[in-house]
Amino acid sequence: MSAPTVAELLPDPPPAVRMENITKRFPGVVANRGVHLQVRAGTFHAVIGENGAGKSTLLNILYGRYRPDAGRIFLHGEEVTQELRGPIDAIRHGIGLVSQHHALIPALSLLENVVLGSEPVLPGGVLDWRRAAARIQSLAKQLGLGTLDLSQRAERLSVAAQQKVEILKALYRGARILLLDEPTATLAPQEAEALFALLRGLVQRGTTVVFVTHKLREVMAHSDAVSVLRAGRNAGDFVTRETDERTLLQCMMGARSGSGVAFRVPLTGELEPDPALPVPGMEAAVFRPIRPLSGSPLFQIEHATVRNLRGARAVQDVSLEVGMGEIVGVAGVDGSGQQELAEAIIGLRPMETGRLFLAGVELTRMRVRARQRQGIAYIPEDRHRSGLVLDFDIAENYLLGHEDCEDWGGGWVLKPAVMFRRAAEMVQRYDVRTGFRGVPTPVRDLSGGNQQKVVFARAMESRPRFVVACQPTRGLDVEATRFVYRTLLQARERGAGVLLFSLDLDELLYLSDRVAVMFNGRIVGLLPRDTASAERIGALMTGSAEAMEGAS
Amino acid sequence: MTGAVTPGSGLARALLSVGIALVVAAVIMHLSGYDALSGLAALWAGATGLRAGPPQADGQIAFGAGPFTGHLDVYNLAQSLARSTPLLFTGLSVALGLRAGLFNIGAQGQMIAGALAAAVIGGAGGGTLPGPVHLLLVLCAGALAGAAWGAVPGILRATRGVHEVISTILFNYLATNLATYLVTHGLKDPDPRKMAPQTAAIAPTAHLHPWVAGSNLTAGLLLALVAAMGVACLVRRTSAGFQIRAVGQGLEAARAAGISVPGVMVRAMALAGALAGVAGAIEVMGVHHRYVQGLAGTYGFDGIAVALLGGLNGMGVTLSALFFGALSNGAEFMELETNVPRALAVIVQAIVILCVGVRLARRSLARQVVAAVQDSDEDLLEEEHAGR
Repeated sequence: MSAPTVAELLPDPPPAVRMENITKRFPGVVANRGVHLQVRAGTFHAVIGENGAGKSTLLNILYGRYRPDAGRIFLHGEEVTQELRGPIDAIRHGIGLVSQHHALIPALSLLENVVLGSEPVLPGGVLDWRRAAARIQSLAKQLGLGTLDLSQRAERLSVAAQQKVEILKALYRGARILLLDEPTATLAPQEAEALFALLRGLVQRGTTVVFVTHKLREVMAHSDAVSVLRAGRNAGDFVTRETDERTLLQCMMGARSGSGVAFRVPLTGELEPDPALPVPGMEAAVFRPIRPLSGSPLFQIEHATVRNLRGARAVQDVSLEVGMGEIVGVAGVDGSGQQELAEAIIGLRPMETGRLFLAGVELTRMRVRARQRQGIAYIPEDRHRSGLVLDFDIAENYLLGHEDCEDWGGGWVLKPAVMFRRAAEMVQRYDVRTGFRGVPTPVRDLSGGNQQKVVFARAMESRPRFVVACQPTRGLDVEATRFVYRTLLQARERGAGVLLFSLDLDELLYLSDRVAVMFNGRIVGLLPRDTASAERIGALMTGSAEAMEGAS
Repeated sequence: MTGAVTPGSGLARALLSVGIALVVAAVIMHLSGYDALSGLAALWAGATGLRAGPPQADGQIAFGAGPFTGHLDVYNLAQSLARSTPLLFTGLSVALGLRAGLFNIGAQGQMIAGALAAAVIGGAGGGTLPGPVHLLLVLCAGALAGAAWGAVPGILRATRGVHEVISTILFNYLATNLATYLVTHGLKDPDPRKMAPQTAAIAPTAHLHPWVAGSNLTAGLLLALVAAMGVACLVRRTSAGFQIRAVGQGLEAARAAGISVPGVMVRAMALAGALAGVAGAIEVMGVHHRYVQGLAGTYGFDGIAVALLGGLNGMGVTLSALFFGALSNGAEFMELETNVPRALAVIVQAIVILCVGVRLARRSLARQVVAAVQDSDEDLLEEEHAGR
């Protein structure tokens, strides 16, 4: 220990952000209950918590988007509670937000996007583009972004580059406190590293950075301090270097986590019964016997080429096999062709070339429904749009896709009694929390996790031989995530094949027997679990040439 | 469960809307120098046939006693019900389309197509066909022509992504002008004394006969009520209706579940067209006994209001068709008796629709209507892609 420096002996400057006793209610839910947040100026501060813990709400209150029902907000020691009436006020106080959903206007140029909202004006209302451009370039240089082509349209940029432009935009508008809401959710690991390097640089030059995430690894690697929220309340504040991942996880999960890694369920052997989460009744579901086919895998796709909506080839010459009782994960940066490949397998999107087989039967020319009858089940990425009819009740959603099946309550004339009975059984077996209304509850009113349970129940009860699951845990909390993992593993135990598309590498590594990596519409690597690692996959995802040589 | 208006609150709100509208109408009458009270009394008498005082003419049935004597004018009531008949069909047509997420503005054209076909088939046979057979043939002709007129926009939407609002409006023009051409050229009444743009009279075997002498009320009303029940059962109780609702309320989810979205769209539009076509056939068989220029009036467009006020469900649409039919007949009677212009009834109608619109803005029904009206380009692209 060296002697304290002068700076350390001086009284602490007031914190950049102090939020006291913040309470925010939404109809039917209290998002924040008396939450405190204190962020020292010039530090990198992480806010973590499960989905629904109230992290984004807190950030949005600080950004003026929501007004708190109670509580006080101080910036650099000065109370601003009454002044933060909207984002404009927050920006005036030097706060900038980079939101989860990128907020650039695709058709505008970089220059236009950055100055939008604070355009430099010459006398007479003429825009001073030259001054704006000069300021942006000097900012970009400070950030280490080099010289930018400001005439480029925002839509031509990658997600990572768009995010950097958003940070630039916030700084251009004078942000001294930068808020980021799950900034790495859609980035490849290398891109995330680059982002953190940039943010570190900002912090060193005195900017205060507050970022919301649920990735503990990022928190441990980059933050100075951590605030943990659980169920809308403070669960703990930590100095990063004095804590560890396990402590933070326990703090995040509260009483539910006995061990450090609560959501891990055994990969092989019998699944442990878990008193906290009734095992979905897949024991009762009898999988149709799958004929052992000598030598040929359960599912095969050969030389598939698929075009996207704009007519570009989103999937190029992809071949993949999935065996019985095997989970094959598909990794890749968002938009590498995963969605198009999944839709082609389901039958929602035509294949330009290529063939599909399931258990020896060619599906290439079959429609969606016929493929489902062959045993394909689909867990779509966007459960609100593609998985459920939100205004339908649970029974109706459960019938969807089986409206011609007598034993589901379908047929020419529907059988509401059968529909209700089956739905009620499903609700109980899969532990769907419906509230007091039960089966007639519109699924719109269920939480995200319970909605996903309905989607999974419907898929699994059709006794699939092959499950295509797209981002099945996105936006789910830990308990619902556990449910999803357990259900997928049970499908695998019973001999079904699973093709799992996910952006979460930890999830892929945890569940998959093999991981296929997509880059630019092609499968650039197929790694067995024992040789797959996050670093290796991450390198392949971003198209690193040397990684590809090693992986083929 | 869905966008259906719950019976209790929906009815109460609808009645409240009507009440507000009538008060506004009374104020306007008063400000325009009419006696609002007698105007409203006449409107009520024309709409329902009910009036205070002892009967004054044949066909009026007395009820009550002493100072509470009233009478029912059967003719007025019958005319109100007759007015409601086509409205119920077109209202069902629009409601069925919206259930599938399609905004059928084309009930007008489908009704004209149905009426023209009915007039042609009604004129066939020269009165030699057995009555019931001929009636059935004419109804089928109307339904088929309407179905064709509805199915084409349905096919265009399902396979080419052409928005049905635009195509059905164009199909309305097509029907109106084709009808004008035919009744002045190919199908013009051959009787040289008749200059009116109309077809020849249909054979008596294809007539629907009035239930009340002199009125236009026929078995068509019964058919409309059966149709309302049929549509309600279809939508609620059958897998075909389930598919229609799934497409209407969750297009992507329906597609992912393996429902043939183009097929459902085409079937829903064809059925919607058939309902409007039957409205036209019944006007030909029961009222005009030929196709007459302007026979469809604005029934097709009024059907949109009927469907929305009725919350798209069978019972609601029935009540709202009865209401609009009575209002329209009552307004005519009011003008006849008190000189208050019948346009006032249109104001009442407009206010009711506005009140409903305000209520709609907060409901899933509105989401459905809005989704049907302003489909994203993405959806259209998607469909185009699927249709390729």
